[in-house]
Amino acid sequence: MTENHCSRVLLSSILITLVGLLLTTPARAQQALRWGADPSGGAPYVFNDPNHPDQYIGYEKEMVDALAAAMGRKAEFVPSDWETLVSALQRGSFDVIVNGLEPTADRARQIQFSKPYYIFQLALTIRNDERQINSLADCRNRTVGTLGNTAASRLLQKEGVSFRGYADPVAAYRDLELKRIDAVLMDVPAEVFYVSKSATLKRAGEPFFRGTYNIGMRKGDDALKVQVDAAIDKIIRDGTLEQILRKWNLWNDAQAELQNPIRSGQQTGHLAYEITSASFNWREALWRLTRAAGVTVLIAFGSMFIALTLGMPLAVGQWKGPSWLQWFCTVYVEFFRGTPVLVQLLFLYFGLPAIGLAMPSWLTALVGLGLNYAAYESQVYRAALSAIPRGQWEASYSLGMSPLLAFRRIILPQAFRIALPPMTNDFVSLFKDTSTAYAISLWELATAYRELANASGQFLLLGVAVSLYYLAMSLPMAHLARRLERRLQRSQAIEAVESEQAA
Amino acid sequence: MIRANEIIKQANGTRILRGVSFEVTPRTVLGIIGASGSGKTTLLRCLNGLERIDGGTIEFDDLHLEAKLSRTEYARRVKELRRRVGTVFQHLNLFPHLTVLGNIVEAPVHVSHAARCEAETEAYNLLESVGLKHLAQRYPESLSGGEQQRVAIARALAMHPQLLLFDEPTSALDPKRTISLRSLLLSFVERGHTMVIVSHAIGFLIGLADHLLYMEGGEVVEQGTTDRILNSPSDPRTKDFVEQAE
Repeated sequence: MTENHCSRVLLSSILITLVGLLLTTPARAQQALRWGADPSGGAPYVFNDPNHPDQYIGYEKEMVDALAAAMGRKAEFVPSDWETLVSALQRGSFDVIVNGLEPTADRARQIQFSKPYYIFQLALTIRNDERQINSLADCRNRTVGTLGNTAASRLLQKEGVSFRGYADPVAAYRDLELKRIDAVLMDVPAEVFYVSKSATLKRAGEPFFRGTYNIGMRKGDDALKVQVDAAIDKIIRDGTLEQILRKWNLWNDAQAELQNPIRSGQQTGHLAYEITSASFNWREALWRLTRAAGVTVLIAFGSMFIALTLGMPLAVGQWKGPSWLQWFCTVYVEFFRGTPVLVQLLFLYFGLPAIGLAMPSWLTALVGLGLNYAAYESQVYRAALSAIPRGQWEASYSLGMSPLLAFRRIILPQAFRIALPPMTNDFVSLFKDTSTAYAISLWELATAYRELANASGQFLLLGVAVSLYYLAMSLPMAHLARRLERRLQRSQAIEAVESEQAA
Repeated sequence: MIRANEIIKQANGTRILRGVSFEVTPRTVLGIIGASGSGKTTLLRCLNGLERIDGGTIEFDDLHLEAKLSRTEYARRVKELRRRVGTVFQHLNLFPHLTVLGNIVEAPVHVSHAARCEAETEAYNLLESVGLKHLAQRYPESLSGGEQQRVAIARALAMHPQLLLFDEPTSALDPKRTISLRSLLLSFVERGHTMVIVSHAIGFLIGLADHLLYMEGGEVVEQGTTDRILNSPSDPRTKDFVEQAE
């Protein structure tokens, strides 16, 4: 009996321990402060440590660690994409956005913000040899690079300066060095980090404009907002934030202005700067989409022309050339068919400048897609050429034609008829593949969609509009392909009937 | 005019032609007969340079082809040979992307560099002589087999060949069309054309060919005037073939 009782006590205590373990483990995990930011080109905010690529560093990374410690929680970083941070927060991918986020009015409609933790300014960067640009006012009729959907891009839009939105600062500064653009407008933290390392870039004029970085949270997470605000006060009061900012060379008078009232115990009123909201104008958006569609059309036709021209020597080389040429053509074809076109474009755009070949993005897209599709077209040609019966060659030779003349006058026109439908199909897919050019900041239709939708949040309606644009361009091509195919089938059917009659 | 001496042709280690000799004199017609696989089509392809000979010689007047010639020299002489020889293939090999007229003027315009209008005038005359003038603007695929063959003949004649080669001209023709082809070729004979006709249909060659050459297994079994081969063949194999054909 007592023995039974003992074992029962033992059993229940084990059970309680187990249940306790099960309950406490998730509870601890919930306590982690999940924060989202874009580490790609994210220096000095948060980025991959070059010395330990599996770790993240950055002044905001250190700040969030300090904030989480002040809240008695552990920080957990969720790498994300800058342009979709707000929607990812709303989906619950993380609890807070800490990524140099400006509390704009349009964002404030979607999420709520903590008190500011940093006052940023904008700095204009130019090449050392630039003589004509001293301020933003000199940038009219020039192209200025910046990050998409930032205070800088909104300011440029408002000032009517033509700009290119980049996905990360590295690409923007690199394009400035390569003279693809004339200036870069960026928040001071990024500018300090990149320009101080560059031998060929310098700051134009003094930093201007003021805005704050705040931590973004979901609406309704009010308890979290109280905790975060308290934590910001705490790390300002105990000097942790100043220490971090000084370490990253980001401490300046503006930060002192922000921090001093808090340190002296004053609860100041809300510090707010006017930042241009992303204004959305449907007419303007459709006009920009139309222009982007024009770029798409030009790139598609241009690269198809290159593909068709280059595809022919490739096909003939692989088909009838000497063995070394056959080998070369096969390597070419397999290389371009076997690697993603996106990677090829990135290589051409960012890799080739290393050997002194810096092409603007439109030319890169044209050449990249052209080289890529030449591989496909060569195979279309090759199949079509080998589909021509040997008798056609023999009849041409018997009439005294040279191989070249026979090829040009007799074989090629027939092969072209066979190749036309698959070529048209390839053209339709080339059309859609122009969207990969968004990776090299070419303002074509897909880039336009991404930027406009991110700026406005109108993913659905703009998506429908962009799809309609693509369809309006590719449907006629697909229709043409089907018609050609039908015409070819009809003439083949007649031939079949004829040969049956003859037999 | 054309003389073949001991022509040898090999493919994949087997001898397709084992020393074939014959001669064609101007304004005569030679009929080459034999069963399928006897090598008669290969012989024809050697005569227009589509196959390179591996032994023996082909002499076309002053033009000599022999196996020991270098690749480029052989090609150069074949090019010259093809100016003198026209071929009508068994499968015709018309150019499907060109009209009937286009098929005929293609070589005169682009090989002989004749003026297009002159070439077209001559093409119409040729088409008239084969009875197809009304089909000049049609595409080959819309013509009957017999009409297509006449286009192929006109195409070959447009280059003014001294010798015309026919490979199995009756293989795709019904009896009625065979008769009309035969009368067409007879009209060519009257105009003094020299022809070599490969066929397994002996009846077609009677009254058309001056000489017959019977082949078997890549060898010439017997050759002579059409009368002698048909009526008193000296080799029993020839006799068998002639009797079976009748």
